[in-house]
Amino acid sequence: MDNIVFSIGITALAGALAAVAGAAENVESDIGSQGDPNSQVQLAPQMGYIHRIYNKAIAGEPPAWGLWIALGAGIAWAFMAMQINPILAIVLGAGLATFVQGVYSTTAYLGRTASLSKFGQPVYIDIIKSMTTVTMAHAFVAIFATVTLCHLMNAALGHPFPLPLLGLVWGIALGAAGSATGNPYYGKERQYQTQNFGAGVPISASGNIVRYAEAGERNSLDNGFFTAKLGGAAAGVCFGLIVFLELWRTVLFEKIGAGWGAIIVGVIIILVFTVIDRFIEVWARKNYGPYTKPEETSS
Amino acid sequence: MSALGGAKPAGGSTGIAPIPAIISLVIFVIIFALMYRLGTPLAMTALIGIVIGGLLIGFGVHFVPVGGAPAAMGQAPGIATGVAMLAAGGGLAGLFGGAWAASQGTLVAVVTGAIGGGLMLAITCFFVNFVYIYGMGIPAASGKVKKDPITGDTQPEYKSQGTEGHGLPFVSFVGGVIGGLLGGAGGTLIYLMLLDVYQATLPGVMKATAVQIAPVAVSLAGMFAIGIFLVIAVLAAYNITGTIEGPHDPKFKRFPRALIASAVASALCGVAAILLVMV
Repeated sequence: MDNIVFSIGITALAGALAAVAGAAENVESDIGSQGDPNSQVQLAPQMGYIHRIYNKAIAGEPPAWGLWIALGAGIAWAFMAMQINPILAIVLGAGLATFVQGVYSTTAYLGRTASLSKFGQPVYIDIIKSMTTVTMAHAFVAIFATVTLCHLMNAALGHPFPLPLLGLVWGIALGAAGSATGNPYYGKERQYQTQNFGAGVPISASGNIVRYAEAGERNSLDNGFFTAKLGGAAAGVCFGLIVFLELWRTVLFEKIGAGWGAIIVGVIIILVFTVIDRFIEVWARKNYGPYTKPEETSS
Repeated sequence: MSALGGAKPAGGSTGIAPIPAIISLVIFVIIFALMYRLGTPLAMTALIGIVIGGLLIGFGVHFVPVGGAPAAMGQAPGIATGVAMLAAGGGLAGLFGGAWAASQGTLVAVVTGAIGGGLMLAITCFFVNFVYIYGMGIPAASGKVKKDPITGDTQPEYKSQGTEGHGLPFVSFVGGVIGGLLGGAGGTLIYLMLLDVYQATLPGVMKATAVQIAPVAVSLAGMFAIGIFLVIAVLAAYNITGTIEGPHDPKFKRFPRALIASAVASALCGVAAILLVMV
């Protein structure tokens, strides 16, 4: 009984850490312009729109985060093997991985922006100074939280994978969940804030991103401030739920029916999410209505 | 990888080019002959399992609705990230669950892995629609079909002007979950097959007991399983070329080509992973 209570506590803690990691990952990605929406940041100068938005799509978010978290986890693992306290080891691992992220960010910004010189896009040194450190701070939070939850899975819940491997698995999952949830909000809702609300960005408007703020030119810190309110929170809840429900169903129901209990609970959870998704899809169709009159049923 | 992409027929083709298919078949037969010659029956069974796992992953990737950069601007339906990486995110989350259940038998572990992958993608797909609907006020609409094949909902009038659709219509959501199920099952199967081989052979190779080599066996099997998963996910992504809405997308019909490539790639990676401890 004590063991189950302990496991549930660890599960809840891992879920909470995952929520923090998801939110930090998304805000890092939006301030650093890491994901797919960066295509527009790269495109804008080519269309004649010079801007002061950070530009660092180092790789797709999942492999980038897979690298950083596996790196943080690997270094923490090595320190733990040297009998260093786990918390200190994870802090050191996350710190060193964050420096790698900073190096990648700087070189990515310089390289990507320099490639746009023929379109007149300058390299802003003040942007590098002010934005890189902010993305590094968010990256540290995300890496620390994810490496910690991987350590909990390994040391407290007894998952057989070593820490670096868990770091790679959950780093890729973190990037996948964070980019899937957060990218549209940054890409459509923030970069194209001047376009109509409640509609996708017309393809003809590509590259015409918003470049001016309430005072002066918009920069990526403004984007982080905006997207943290919904995109960041949604990405956090998304990744938090993934980690929490995956652990919860295993910890509580694995012993029932020789493993089939956890499977059945997993199927039920998938069905619940399917029903909720269908509900909000129908809700949106009813409340937002069609954009045009329905076509005649000729086909 | 660009060489692999360049060798493919021009975009839009769904057919199987005969010469590459025959070359693939020859490579496939050579790999199995090599394994028959050098390996044990256990290794042969493991290789067959790895190929089945590879086929599951290669097929599963085609179900995952991925819209890439256009989806991030609400210009195209799907999830706004890369095909290979999203499938990997789901499949590896499944592998995590499957590896945990490895001691409960192959069937339970593979199904657990499948459910883990499906769960990850169900939650992710739900949050994609959540952000589109409640964050951006945009309903889901497919650009490839006039009616959702599952619900029958009409689609064209819900596409906003100048876009190819947005969000995840129900069929895409279901496709995402199926993709996660297949990816999780495939990844876990590859892991279990490699784990069996390593647990059987490493004690002899390293002159240690089964308990002592257990962490090495788990780590090696996990690393190779993740590696093989990524190889096949990337191959399938090249076959898709960019974006896909799910099982209703015309690009889905390209999957037989990916199955051939996945079978050869998983056999090649599998034989390397197995012979590492046997030769």
